[in-house]
Amino acid sequence: MNGIFRTTVFMGATAVALIGSPALSQENDTVTIALRVAVNTLDPHMTASVGSDLSVLSHIYPALILRGPDLKLQPALAESWEMTDPTTWRFKLKSGAHFANGEKLDAAAVKWNLDRVRDDAVGARIAAWFELVSEVTAIDETTVEVKTSSPYPALADQLSMFLLLPPEWAKTHNPANETMSGGPYVVKENVPGDHITLAANPDYWGPKPEFETVIFRTIPESAARTAALEAGEVDLITGVPATEIKRINERGAAEAGAIDSIRMMLGKFNHQKAPMENLKLRQAINYAIDKEGIAQAIFDGNATVANCQLLTPAYFGYNPDLKPYPYDPEKAQELLAESGVDLSQPIEIEIPVGTYLQGEEVTQVIASQLQEVGLNVKITEIEFGAFMNKQLKARDLAQIAVQGLAWPTIDADGMLTMFAPGNVYDYWNNAEFGALLDKGRASVDPEERKKIYADATKLMCEEAGALFLYAQPATYGISKRISWQSRGDDWVRAFDMTLRN
Amino acid sequence: MARYLLSKLFEAALAIWGVVTIVFFVSRVLGDPTVLLLPMGASQQDIDTLRAALGLDRPILEQYGIALLSMLRGDFGISFQHTRPALDVVLERMPATGMLAGTALFFGTLIGAVAGAIAALRRGTISEFVVMTAALLGQATPVFWLGIMLILFFSVQLGWLPTGGSGSLAHLILPGLTLSVFVSASIARLLRSSLLDIMREDYVRTARAKGLMPRTVFFWHIARNALIPVVTMIGIIAGELLGGSVVIETVFAWPGVGRVIMQAIQAQDFPVIQAGVALVAVIFVVTNLLVDLLYGVLDPRIRQR
Repeated sequence: MNGIFRTTVFMGATAVALIGSPALSQENDTVTIALRVAVNTLDPHMTASVGSDLSVLSHIYPALILRGPDLKLQPALAESWEMTDPTTWRFKLKSGAHFANGEKLDAAAVKWNLDRVRDDAVGARIAAWFELVSEVTAIDETTVEVKTSSPYPALADQLSMFLLLPPEWAKTHNPANETMSGGPYVVKENVPGDHITLAANPDYWGPKPEFETVIFRTIPESAARTAALEAGEVDLITGVPATEIKRINERGAAEAGAIDSIRMMLGKFNHQKAPMENLKLRQAINYAIDKEGIAQAIFDGNATVANCQLLTPAYFGYNPDLKPYPYDPEKAQELLAESGVDLSQPIEIEIPVGTYLQGEEVTQVIASQLQEVGLNVKITEIEFGAFMNKQLKARDLAQIAVQGLAWPTIDADGMLTMFAPGNVYDYWNNAEFGALLDKGRASVDPEERKKIYADATKLMCEEAGALFLYAQPATYGISKRISWQSRGDDWVRAFDMTLRN
Repeated sequence: MARYLLSKLFEAALAIWGVVTIVFFVSRVLGDPTVLLLPMGASQQDIDTLRAALGLDRPILEQYGIALLSMLRGDFGISFQHTRPALDVVLERMPATGMLAGTALFFGTLIGAVAGAIAALRRGTISEFVVMTAALLGQATPVFWLGIMLILFFSVQLGWLPTGGSGSLAHLILPGLTLSVFVSASIARLLRSSLLDIMREDYVRTARAKGLMPRTVFFWHIARNALIPVVTMIGIIAGELLGGSVVIETVFAWPGVGRVIMQAIQAQDFPVIQAGVALVAVIFVVTNLLVDLLYGVLDPRIRQR
């Protein structure tokens, strides 16, 4: 008996010693952020993924300009910037900025970075963002001039996603798996697929960050993310199912909420496939869907219905005069009868699986409401990669494709351009719409641009260019020790957080 | 023995070549990764430039020839997504996968063997009923659900263990346990039925009639023969687990090889898919070889052939 007891105690003690005490509670100078997908590359020019790669890298590499939590641009390395003529931009840099190895963060470094992404041999994934840039000149140590081949009013916005590498260091190192900090943090530990730990950069030229240590943990599963938040292991999670928000708040271990993101959900019409060329049918579909009902039932009231346009109020060029098509199944049936379309022909609705917050559920509702007004619809669930190939490569989208669109510069130019004739994303082919967008791009006067985009959005609404749905909610959960201003784009950054008192 | 190993090695090379070839062509037929690598709104020209930079614009047979020659040198190319050697991307995840697979295999086999033996030896008793019900439940429970339940209980309610991730033994307990349940359930059921079959054999009755001790009869005559199908099963499970358990790795945020291959498939990251598939093929071939060798140990008749 005694022997068994001793053995048990010994085994117990060994187990405790081996396991150690898991770090469940967090230190005050540490913040932990959960990512939905793993960080793939450490090279900021080889990824366009704001929600994972770029968010993490923005702690290590500086940008000329940052987009703040209010979605407004703020100075970062660039103190100020101006458009000196429609195709020339001037950026004034802070002096004394440098990388941790002593390399200067000056105009020449900025030029080298912009040249690097535009070099075809590099194969930078984000080259498309700077396609219009024709020449970059370092005027003096703290002045950079950027020439564009045509007016590019969104250049400053685009630069808020552009992180700067140290040129000399990059000659002898591979930025894909090594880093040399020029920002507030340095990489302390990187376990691919698991976590990246950052420590405050002692040589940082800017203000000292609030947290000494920042940990980004990859947690791909939604329920596991919520569990990690409620167990106190992480401070911020995103992509919470809308129906979980209430439950998290009720249980009280953490807080959860949602705001409108800049991603607009829509049913994209393939106007090239019968019967989608029929205006009355397209309008009928917009009348047949109860957008408000979807926002209430599926998103617990956390989604905002689109105002008959692809833009949310956050976008430059948003048209405040448009109102959504009301939910009116009778009107939809009338229009269908007038349209002369054979209602028995099958209409396919495509939805990429696991891509959009509760997108599959929304598609179910759309299909059943279209059936109620007499259309013969069927849903096809498709893997995201195959969907993108179908859309861009095979150019064979179904009659309706439920998808979300966002444009990172939060500007009508870009977002609407995806529906301009000739664009790889376009399935509408409306020449009048295309002409308006060309006009908008040629102008640099904000008031004039606003007017042009108001015409464009109005045209798209009247023509029922798409099935306008709702702005996908940006949902999040946050621990009670941290405050963070929720935002509609995908940036998750420790330097937007503070400790709560 | 040398000839046996050589022929096995040849078969293995053939199998790996076959798998790699099929995957090469199927993945390229299914899609174009450039549309996924580029940001929204990239133009046709951007797509073409990147295709050329990745070598995807060349004729498919030329691409295949280049890929095959590089693979012989152990070079699977640069990952499209990770922008570093594809083999590194896969291999750096192997320790985590190996640790999880080893844990599940060890505890799963141990528990499964004891449970299966109890069920067979205590035939018709309440203990057989309990063991077999538990095994059936263990096999029928979706690992996804079980994993989430364990997280909610041990991590959120009790706060004893981390919800996921890796780095310490504490992180290994829940995913290891979840996977062990599944492994032990399969092994217990197979071992029980296999033992029951053998116990009915004539030579077992003869051994008992000779007056051998029950223990000798069990271990020497019954168990050794009954283990052959079980070893086959363990070999298959080992191969599967070492190829990565996508569901478990996802639920427990475990940085294993399954998740990275899965992600590569979704992103059509050809070099990583190829490196991953080749690695899994090698693992299967090696485990099969070990199983073959173990047969010989268990059954002298196989050894002599």
